[in-house]
This record gives sequence, C-alpha cells and structure tokens, in this order.
Amino acid sequence: MLRSENPSRPTSMEELLSSDLIARISQLDVSSKKIFAGKLKGERRSKKRGESVEFADHRPYSTGDDLRHIDWNIYARLDHFFMKLFMEEEDLSLHIVIDASASSDCGTPNKFLYMQQVAMAMGYIGLVNLNRVAVTAVGMRDEDLVVGGEKSIAGTIRDLRGRRRTHDLSRFICALEPERETDFTAAAKRIAMTRRGKGVMIVLSDFFMKEGYETGLRLLVGRGYDVFAIQVLSPQEVEPDIAGDLMLRDIEDGDQAEVTISAPLLKKYKQNLAAYCNGLREYCARREITALTVQTDTPIDTLLLDYMRKRGLLR
Amino acid sequence: MIWATPTLALIAAAIAVPALIILYFLKLRRQTKEVSTTLLWKKAIQDLQANAPFQKLRKNLLLFLQLIILGLILVGLAQPRSSTASIGGQKLVILIDRSASMRSVDGTESLGSKTRLEQAKAEAILLVESMRAPGLFDSEDSSDEAMVIAFDTNAEIFTTMTADQTTLLNAINAIEQTDAPSSLNEAFRLAQAQRPNRYVNDAGADGTEDPIELEGIKGGDTFIFHLFSDGQIPDAEVVRADNEDDFPTFEYHAMGTANAVNIGLVALRAERDYNNPRKLSIYVGVQSTDSINRRVDAELLIDGAPTSVRSIELPAAVPDPITNKAEPTTAGVVFELEEPNGVMAIVRLDTSAATNPQADLFDTDNKGTLIIPPAKQASVALVTTGSLYLQSAFASLPLSELSVMSPSEYESARNDRAMGAFDLVVFDDYLPEPSDDGSRLDPGRYLVLGQALDGPLGVEDLGTGPGTQLINWRRTHPVLRGLTLDGLVLAETHNFAIPEDSGVVSLAESTKGPAIFETSSADVRAICVPFDIGKSNWPFDVSFVIFLGSVVDYLGTQATITVDQSERQLVPGQVLSDRLPNDATNIRIQLPRGESSDPVIPSADGSIVFGPVRHSGIYEVKWAGQPGATDVVDDGRVSRFFAANMLDTDESNIQTLPQIVLANRTVGADAGGKLKRTKDWWPWLLAAALTILMLEWWIYNRKMYI
Repeated sequence: MLRSENPSRPTSMEELLSSDLIARISQLDVSSKKIFAGKLKGERRSKKRGESVEFADHRPYSTGDDLRHIDWNIYARLDHFFMKLFMEEEDLSLHIVIDASASSDCGTPNKFLYMQQVAMAMGYIGLVNLNRVAVTAVGMRDEDLVVGGEKSIAGTIRDLRGRRRTHDLSRFICALEPERETDFTAAAKRIAMTRRGKGVMIVLSDFFMKEGYETGLRLLVGRGYDVFAIQVLSPQEVEPDIAGDLMLRDIEDGDQAEVTISAPLLKKYKQNLAAYCNGLREYCARREITALTVQTDTPIDTLLLDYMRKRGLLR
Repeated sequence: MIWATPTLALIAAAIAVPALIILYFLKLRRQTKEVSTTLLWKKAIQDLQANAPFQKLRKNLLLFLQLIILGLILVGLAQPRSSTASIGGQKLVILIDRSASMRSVDGTESLGSKTRLEQAKAEAILLVESMRAPGLFDSEDSSDEAMVIAFDTNAEIFTTMTADQTTLLNAINAIEQTDAPSSLNEAFRLAQAQRPNRYVNDAGADGTEDPIELEGIKGGDTFIFHLFSDGQIPDAEVVRADNEDDFPTFEYHAMGTANAVNIGLVALRAERDYNNPRKLSIYVGVQSTDSINRRVDAELLIDGAPTSVRSIELPAAVPDPITNKAEPTTAGVVFELEEPNGVMAIVRLDTSAATNPQADLFDTDNKGTLIIPPAKQASVALVTTGSLYLQSAFASLPLSELSVMSPSEYESARNDRAMGAFDLVVFDDYLPEPSDDGSRLDPGRYLVLGQALDGPLGVEDLGTGPGTQLINWRRTHPVLRGLTLDGLVLAETHNFAIPEDSGVVSLAESTKGPAIFETSSADVRAICVPFDIGKSNWPFDVSFVIFLGSVVDYLGTQATITVDQSERQLVPGQVLSDRLPNDATNIRIQLPRGESSDPVIPSADGSIVFGPVRHSGIYEVKWAGQPGATDVVDDGRVSRFFAANMLDTDESNIQTLPQIVLANRTVGADAGGKLKRTKDWWPWLLAAALTILMLEWWIYNRKMYI
C-alpha cells in the first residue's frame, strides 16, 4: 500500500521473465471466447468462413460469390451450386493496457513491477503465437507521447508480431516509469478510438480511480474486444500493516486523510476494500468483462498457468 | 463519606482536567505516509463516524481512560473516607469505666477470657485507630482529637485533648482496674471543664468591644462522648449530653452481657453488744442476679482461721415485667461469736457451682474484710469537787471504771503517773496548773466543764457574762450528733476568744460567741464546755446524758460501737486517712496485692493521707515508733490495718444495661458494641488508577486506538 522505497526497475527482459517461466508459458496461447477476425492470416480460426484449407461448411451459391470456391463435386451430384466454406485463420489483437500511474509504484512486491511482468509474459505469449500485440501505458504525462496528442497516455507500442519483436516489447515495458495520476476515462477513450481490429484486451491496474473505472471500462468493452480486467493489489493493501496516528497522503493527487489506526477502522477498511473489489467484479460481469484480482505476492506462473487458464484467457 | 482534603482535589481538578483535554484539542502530530490511494481510508473514516453514536468518546478512548485515571487520582487526592458522621475535626471524649463491675469476665465466646475493662480498652483502641488523622496536606484543625478519662468513684484524665494516637493508645493502655463503684458525673464534669469558657463581645460605654469570658458557660467545639461501660452507673441520670441534630454527642458502648450472673457481698457489718461488748455480731448481706434459686456458703475467718460456715439461700432474680431486666434478690446471714479482742474478720462466699462455670462472673465481691477493734469500755476519771449530777450521769453509762477523785487526788495520781490508766479524764470546774511550757494537760483525752481551757492548746479567757442561749452547734460532730440544744438556757456565759491559727474548733455558739470548743494536738484531745453547767438547765435535759455518752465514745473508746462506720473501714475510691503518733517515721502502706507504697510523709500533727485506694482488701499502715492502743507491733514495726470493701449493690449487679438514661435523653448501646469505623479509600483509588493505566498501556500496545 505504501509507496515502495527505491523500487527496482527491470532493465532487460530477463528481469521481467525468467527463462524457466518462458519455458513454461511457451506452449500457452491467448484464447478468446469468440474467434475474432484478424488482419493477417494468423493461427487463429475465424468465425468468418475464409480461405484456409480447413473445410467448414457448404452454403448455396448466391450471385457474386467467388467462383473459385464452388464445390464442383456437389454440383456434379446435385446440379446445384454450393459454395465451399473454409475456416479462415486470422491473427488476434492482444492489447495490454498497463496502469503507469504513481499508485502502481506501491507495495511489496511492487505492483508496477508485477504488472510489467504480467504484461511481458502476456505479450510474449501473444508474440510467439503470432498475435498482433499492443501495449499502452496509461498515465498523465506532460508531453504528448502518442500521435494525435493525448496526455493521458504515457506510452504505447503497437503492431508487434512474431517472436523477434520480443525485445522491442521488453524494451518498451522496461522503459515505463510509474508516475503522476491517471485519467483512465480519457485514456480508455483514446485507446478505444485508436485500436484496430478486434481481439483481447488486458487491463492491468489497481483500479483505485477516484473518478471511477466504469466509464473507461465501458469504452474499452465496445467494438468487440474481449476485455480482461486484472486488478493488481499489494498484500499491504489487503492487510494494512500501518499503525498509529497517521497522515495518509495520496501518492497521486496529494489528497490527505488523517487517521488513527484502530481495529474498527481496519475492519472497516477491509470491508470497504472487499466491497470495492466486488463492485469491480460485478460491473465487469455485467459488461462481459472477465475480472480477476491478484495480489503481487502471487507467483507469476500461478497467475498465468492457473488463474488465467481457468478464466479462459490462456489455454 | 468524608473528604479529608476536598479543596485541594478541586483545585487540582480545575487545573489538571482542562489541561488534559486541551492536550487532546491540540493537533496531533501525525506521521505522514504516502499510500496508493486514500479512497478507501476516507470512506472507512466516514463510515465509522457515521456508525458510532459516541464517536467522540470512541475516537478518544485514550482520553477517556486518562480522564478516568485522572479522576481516580483526584478523588484519591481528596482522601475520601467512609463513615457515618461527616463532620471534620471531632473532639472525642473517651470515658472508660474502670469500676469494680468491669472486672467481670463474661463467658461468651466473643469475649473470651477478657475482662470487661480489657474489652473496653480494646474497643477504645479501635476507636482511636479509626480517628481521622491529619490529612497529607491538611491542617491540624480538621483532624480528630480525643481525650481519655477513666472513672470509678473518681475520675482521672489520662490524657488531655490530643490528636496523637500514640499518646491516646498509651493512655488507654495505662488504665488499671479498680474495685471502686462507678460515678459518671465527675468524669463528665471533668471533661466539660476542658472546654474553653465562652466569650461574648460586650460593647462598653465608649463603644469599644471587649470580649468577656463567661465563667461556667462552656464554648468551643462540642465534645462527643464515647462511654465504654457496662451501664451500671447510678448517677448517669444527672449527666446532660449536648443536643445536636446531625450527629450523636453521646455514644454508649456496652461491655458484657445483659444476663451476667453474679453473687456477691453487698453488706458487711460488725456490731458489739452495747451491754456486753465481748459479744460480736457480724451481719452479711448477699445479692444474687441469677435467674434460679441459689445456695451459697458464707465462710467466716477470724484472723485467717476458718471459724464458721453458714449457708445462704438466695431466691431467683425475677425479671421486671416492663424492663425485662432481672431485679437482684438479696439474703443475709448473721455470725455471732464471743470475741473481745481486736480481730480481722474475713467473710468469704463460695459461689462456685459444679455444673455452671458462669455461676458467678465477678469474684471481687465474694470476699469482705472487717477490722474489728477490741471490745472496750472506757475507764473515766471524774475530777470534781462534788458534782452529784455528773457522778450519777456517768454512773449510768457503760464504763469499765469510773473513778471520782478530788483535784488533790488527781494531782497526786498525776505525779505518780497513774492517770495513764484512764481513757478519759473529766475536769469539773477545775483545771490543773500549767506546766513550764504553759500547757495544763498531760497527753490524754479530757472533758473540761466549767472552765475555759487556756494555754497553748486553749483559748483566751474573757470572764463571765450575762445569760444567753445556744443558737448554733455542729450537728455533724460525733459528740453533738443527734442533740437538740434549742431549749438550753444559760444563766451565765463564759466568754472566751479563739486565737487565730490555733487548733481550736468551736462546736457550739451562743449569742455571745463560742460556747463549746474542741482542741487537739498530737497527743492531747479535749472538749471544753466553759460555761457553768450548774447554772443552766442542761443537767435536767436528756441531751446532757447523751452528750456525756458521746464524749466518752468519742474521746474514751475512739470507736463507735458499729464497726463498719469506723475509720478503719474504707470503700475503694475513698481516701485512707488517719492520725499516727507524732514520732511515727518511715511510714509505708502495704497494699492488698502485697506491694508496698512509697513512703508516706505525715503532716505536723501526725495525719497521713493515702489514696484514693483502688482495690478492695487489707491495707496495712506500717511505721516505726510508738504504737497506738489497737496497733500490732511486730519486729519493731507497728502495723495498723484498714479494710476496703466494695459492698455496692449497683456494682455487684453486673448485668449490662442496654441503654444509659441520661438527664436529657436515653442513649442505647450501639449495635453489638461495634464501632463505626472510618476507612481510607485513597489507596484503592490509586490502585484502580494504576490498573487502568496498565490497561491503557496494554491497549496502546495492542494498537487499539481511537
């Protein structure tokens, strides 16, 4: 919960992903509840009947259809034109949104580092499965870091594809610095406007947003993206270890709260936290967003191999 | 509840409580911590404040605890004490009855083998220990003070008003049992005398106010009397206790039990037969408070040897239907014996009952002693020139010898030193010639009639005067007791003047001055009737013979017939006084318990005073020198015996009274003789404060702050 003192920042991919973890996640693939259309022919089956070699179905011919796909054998037997429909394999957009505000730079283990590691692992899985990977860091910055000018985006990298772009991804992620506040609504609006195609969007954040996360998530869930909201909390946020008469200062906006820690207050805080997390989950459930709350002391491989697979994000 | 130092506590509270609260009003110096978000915390605080009905107090549990601690300390600072009376600076008068009945050993379990006096002392010590000592920050004025007075017949201040408990405890412990009867009045007056006189401001003629002290009207603080007694005080009803509405000024702590049984001597008297003085009768009166018929043995010991045992039947004491208090019954027995010699008679009661150890709780009155002088009839020498009525009057008196002699025969016998054989010499109209030092009388006892005795012992003779009557005489003097001299007419008076500072006492006065006088020195005692009896109507009056008889008794035998009225019989509480021969030296008195008194210094005429005597029993006055007629000489030391007997019906009735009837009200014994004690609460309050302080420390360390 407290701001981390001198947090260690990863400088290379090896610090984000251990080789052991790489070995374990290499066979995973990003899954989606639906098969999305992709821009490139990828490894993903599309719902669209396409041009792959895998037969899917027949349908009666209608005017304007590509004559190349008429099943002449059926025509010979039934004297009717039937089109051969094939499973089309499409690539998947994997868009990772990472909260790079100052509030992420808290807790032990550090929340932002954890988010970086998750983002790197997911990005790696996406890259090795030839998905189109994009990462957007959300956070207020002074200068416009994205084309089109949006101060609520702290950085973005997009259209990465293939294993060789792994280092580009890790470089981008390692370069991120958590600072200042977020404008999640504005950032989500920007992301929704600029993303292309359809796919899976993973939002990594603590979702402690004073202006509310609802509008932002609603914007993100539009346009057919399959959104996963992963709420990352530090163990200290779940079980506060502070005591005494304190002046709590919000790391983002400097807001101050005078508290004298007491058992009833701690109890109330935990009730509020549970209610907040439940509220997030319920909101997500209504919007068909898969929500997941994870503490930073949860091992990454447990998160990836267990939690995410159970929720259908990976397979 | 008494507050020893309430003002101090209030001042401290006025300073400390606001100070503590102000400390909490001050902004807490909070440690700043940066957190990921204050969102949840603010919400939690808001929720908590909204849900807490006493959120101010809950918010400051530590303040709450500290206020409790401070409050306890402040209340402790006021030194609260629980007690019934809530006034400060009481002045207690502890009256402890040390009379004979307090020697009773009541057999109840709670009393054990203690006498009533010991129990009274123990309870008085409890009372003293419960007195309010000066508070830590207190002035002396607000502490209790007490004075200890022990009383029997006499009252004695053991300590004057003091707040010093050690002095009081020492005084109480110094009180000793006596065998005297009890009398409250003197003790009460003695206590009241310690109060200062009341002053009033009197505006004088010039307008200045002068405080005037009112003699006899007492001011100052009210005294609160605590009487430790068994209630058998005959004169309690003359005592007036102060009336105060809000607190009792007289408390009675009853010692002993209401149905205590005692059998004891209440009367003891010896008489010699008038005509046959050898015959001695000893009357014994016994009182019983037992509720059953009792039979006791009375044993008579003459000079230590058992002589006779008589049984006495005592009827049961009948409870009074109104007061339900057993009225003591009495019975008597008479011992008769032939005893011409002076003896010491002891009467002893055997009251033991084999089946009942509580048959007699008080044994002091089970023994009585009589010092019986020898049977004696006076031998009288009548020196006369021939007075027939004197001869016939003396002849009618029971005398061992009456020798009528003329003045010349007297002178010759005097020269032969033969007059010492006579107990009394009567000079009728004759006086011997003065010796070289001017005295006319040899050592002895004399009745001088018709002559004014002059010389060193006598008066200044002024000659005769006209006739008159007697107008006043000492009705209490042994020789004039019971006489009526109103009808006495003197045809001629003999005037004389009594020198100042002489040992002459006028016994009767006529209109012209003294008419009869008594003179005495260490070895001479004489009664002088200077007027001529022949020229009066006295010889024809019966009072004349009675007068002569009284003179023979008074001067001749030195003992009245009734023994118990003699000066050798005492009651504890009385003063032992006697006159010893002039040459008596090294005078000491052996007390009943065997110890010897300090040397007693006699006055110029041989008088000694000792006492008051405290205990019943035999007092033996010993000296070196000339013995008196009845004295015992042993190994060069002369002994004279005195007997002190209690013989008091009130003291022998040892039933504890449940209430004392004073002049203006009746005071009941406090419940069960228990004392209301004050108790200091401040140590408990401080202990509670310490406990809460530890609780607070524990809470602080459990991180349970609000």
